[in-house]
Amino acid sequence: MQRRPTLLDSCARAATAAEARFRVAYPNSLQRASLVIALDDGAETVVRAAAQHDWAGARFLTYVEPVSAVGAGPGGAIVRGEDGSESLLGDELGDADVVVMIATSERSAEAASIIGTASFARGIMTAGCVFGAGDAADSGVVTALRPYASVLVVAADDDYVMEMLTALRA
Amino acid sequence: MLRKEVNELLTQTGPGTPTGDLFRQYWIPAMLAEELPENDAPPVRVKLLSERLVAIRDSEGRYGLIDEFCAHRGVSLWFGRNEESGLRCPYHGWKYDYTGQCIEVPSEPEESGFCAKIKLTGYPLVKIGDVLWTHMGDPDDRPPLPEWEFALVPPEQTFTSKRWQESNWLQAFEGGIDSSHVSWLHSDGLKNDPLFKGAAGNKYNQADKKPFFEVVQAEGGLFIGARRDAEDDQYYWRITPWVMPSFTMVPPRGDHPVHGHFWIPIDDENCWAYSYDYHPVRALTADERQAMKDGHGVHCEYVPGTYRPLRNKDNDYMMDRAAQKRGDTYSGVKGIAMQDASLQESMGPIVDRTKENLVSTDNGIIMARQRLRKAVTALRDDGVTPPGVDPAHHRVRSASILLPREDAFIDTCRDALAATPGVKQTSV
Repeated sequence: MQRRPTLLDSCARAATAAEARFRVAYPNSLQRASLVIALDDGAETVVRAAAQHDWAGARFLTYVEPVSAVGAGPGGAIVRGEDGSESLLGDELGDADVVVMIATSERSAEAASIIGTASFARGIMTAGCVFGAGDAADSGVVTALRPYASVLVVAADDDYVMEMLTALRA
Repeated sequence: MLRKEVNELLTQTGPGTPTGDLFRQYWIPAMLAEELPENDAPPVRVKLLSERLVAIRDSEGRYGLIDEFCAHRGVSLWFGRNEESGLRCPYHGWKYDYTGQCIEVPSEPEESGFCAKIKLTGYPLVKIGDVLWTHMGDPDDRPPLPEWEFALVPPEQTFTSKRWQESNWLQAFEGGIDSSHVSWLHSDGLKNDPLFKGAAGNKYNQADKKPFFEVVQAEGGLFIGARRDAEDDQYYWRITPWVMPSFTMVPPRGDHPVHGHFWIPIDDENCWAYSYDYHPVRALTADERQAMKDGHGVHCEYVPGTYRPLRNKDNDYMMDRAAQKRGDTYSGVKGIAMQDASLQESMGPIVDRTKENLVSTDNGIIMARQRLRKAVTALRDDGVTPPGVDPAHHRVRSASILLPREDAFIDTCRDALAATPGVKQTSV
């Protein structure tokens, strides 16, 4: 027998503005661990500017160079933090929920490959942000990042980084 | 997550609001032409952007959209008599022309010229395709008429419907650019819907539930590409355009007609979803047109005699848990349009975006919000004409295509993403 909707079951009642006020008020997510990594010099400027704002735990890094030493494993790269200290990418990826790669030039290809491969190997979501709109797309940076970014954004304005990180509760 | 003040900025579209001013820059769908099928047709109540209006088609075939209420005592002119080139209030006989100008006040001497001093707000109403379009902004800044391809192709090639959605326009529109929900909520449609099934490209959708996305700014808005692995070192791309403020187009499937939407605020808690289907180079078949009328594809079945969906919140969308369990539908709600609308309405009339937890695959939505916010504030603060007003921005298409993996769709698909009369859509 078809069950008929009654008051509290009813979508008509549940979807009103009055009922929306009773949505339970509590923080429905834990703090995310977001890694924002500049892949080239132009991107470092963008990332440093973003790092000046208050974030819910996001860390801001710059790709420096690859390392191929035995034992380095996936994520064999050196990255530099906001304070200038250097560390192994693999260590930084440890608890990351998402890696956001920022790029402005084709020179990002090597970094994207290393970071993307290391992230995929650890099951970490990756996003890429390319700035410079048409010029950047033409330069091949989009092609360089495509295999390694589950989501790739080509934006005209640097402030999109702020918009995205805010939306993602970074 | 969106800050409370930005959420309010983008969801409020009444007179004097910044986003309301944005919508008033554009020609927007006001109603379907079928609602005023003949000269002297009964007037139709139209609420747009929180303004109550009536639409008329006078004895000479002129369309007009005017204030709903008589200037005399505030009677609704929906009760008016549409006759002899004007709409006459049945209370005391005051009569208005299609522009809202009062042309007769029977109680006053004709020579007094009193009626010339009475003027209702009036907006233009222009028929292009199946739609009557209006511009509710400053007449001195009226842009050229719209040039959407679905409205410009011959009548036998196009079909447009509309449905009332009981939610704010923004959450409805965001569904139109949220490509990642399709593989879940609408998974039954690819198998069963007569306007979707059978396309060669469907196999890529069904094989890969986790597409990669690419979001690229366009002059009029965005292009959002979803790519999946395909044979021979290629990607299968599905590319969705968004043109500001609220035009979206679904990537095509095979030779099926191409479809999409316009999301138009009625007020802050309701909107119209206009849904179009057209084929750029051939007439719709009788079967296709019938399927659209029957509510398949992006269209819906109606409560008879209305534009309210048959499946609506008053009947719990005719939720069928047995069909859900059998796998006939993923959500238990029948039809693509109402699968979307049921969930979007369940969020409440205006969803509280401060509570949401967006993820990377929501970047299309994030960038659309940013572009909207920037356009709204640039218009408000500096009078900058927003993207999408220029008819050149209207000449876009969606596409589905196989591309070599190294190709950037925005470069390779420039022709495919442009609406070129007489040229078939790019579709797999």
